[in-house]
Amino acid sequence: MLAFILIYAILYIIVARGLTNYPGDWLSYVGLAFIVATIYAILVSQFRRRDISIFKCIGWDNSNVMILVMGEVVLVSFTAFLLVFQISVELLGLAAYITGVASVTGILSILYVDIISMFVTLFWIILAQLPGLVLSMWRATQVPPMRALREE
Amino acid sequence: MAGPIIQLEGVNKEYGKGKNTVAAMKDVNLNIDAGDFVAVLGPSGCGKSTLLHVMSGLEAPSSGRVLVDAVDVTLISERDLPKVRAQKIGFVFQSFLLIENLTAYENIESVLWPRNDITKQEQENRTLAVLREVDMLERRDHFPKQLSGGEQQRVAIGRALVNDPPILFCDEPTGNLDSKTGENILKIIAQLNREKKMTVVLVTHNQEIAKFAKRTLNMKDGVLR
Repeated sequence: MLAFILIYAILYIIVARGLTNYPGDWLSYVGLAFIVATIYAILVSQFRRRDISIFKCIGWDNSNVMILVMGEVVLVSFTAFLLVFQISVELLGLAAYITGVASVTGILSILYVDIISMFVTLFWIILAQLPGLVLSMWRATQVPPMRALREE
Repeated sequence: MAGPIIQLEGVNKEYGKGKNTVAAMKDVNLNIDAGDFVAVLGPSGCGKSTLLHVMSGLEAPSSGRVLVDAVDVTLISERDLPKVRAQKIGFVFQSFLLIENLTAYENIESVLWPRNDITKQEQENRTLAVLREVDMLERRDHFPKQLSGGEQQRVAIGRALVNDPPILFCDEPTGNLDSKTGENILKIIAQLNREKKMTVVLVTHNQEIAKFAKRTLNMKDGVLR
């Protein structure tokens, strides 16, 4: 999950910078968010197949496993958002306050995303996430409870 | 002893199609009374695990009827089957089938998470009571990888008990354990049958394990005797 949070954080930064610096190419950046989000959603439902089938064996129904998958996707994307937020707003600000603006200029140029771009990016990433989220939830419902037993 | 809690009538289960059809269960008829402890004994691949899966609704039979606590699981929709499993059946599997990234406590409590008819406090109380019952209270915060095979199986038993189901299905519950640990697990299962009056159906290939049961049935090539 940690790896996906980092991937999403990088995605936030790339998309936010793209939308800010190259507004004419906004579709490419939203497309990138869509591709990453969809791949992630497919991977989540793939990685969680064993857990999903065990939960189904012990009495969880499809709505319960859909909530599980949705929770994980939402958790990862919001954690990544908060991570970028923390870095851009608090950590860099604090570092600049303590050590001087000049000391963080290098990092700033790589990691900093301004607040408005961040929320605009969040909106687009949520939108790009929706088809993948629906797909992963559907895939979760298709996991048979017998799968975990067959892998014994 | 009360009437049958599990009834199988003319149950067949086939896998594959055409020339590749394999019959895992052949015309199985079986009545298991409430409070009974039945061992199904047979060699590997004889269809005994399939029997458990069919009885629990995890697999649909090719033909025949399966009644669990007066509910015909062959007629229930896929949507409602999980509810029946959650209410009526506890499972203990050979390879424990615990969720790796949940603690012992969470693995047990996870059965109760979808239930909105009991409060969070009640879920916690039940989970702690079950952990105490299987003597795993002190290891409640450990993840499956940090537990021995015997401890993992005790957590799995706890998970099977937390919903207080009347039936316990055990599929080779000691298959991955050494003989002493296996015996302890079987004693816990026998105790549940004796003290809680749980109906236990245990499948095994080991004659020694079957001795813990009140009744032994033999299965060979899909035929139950």
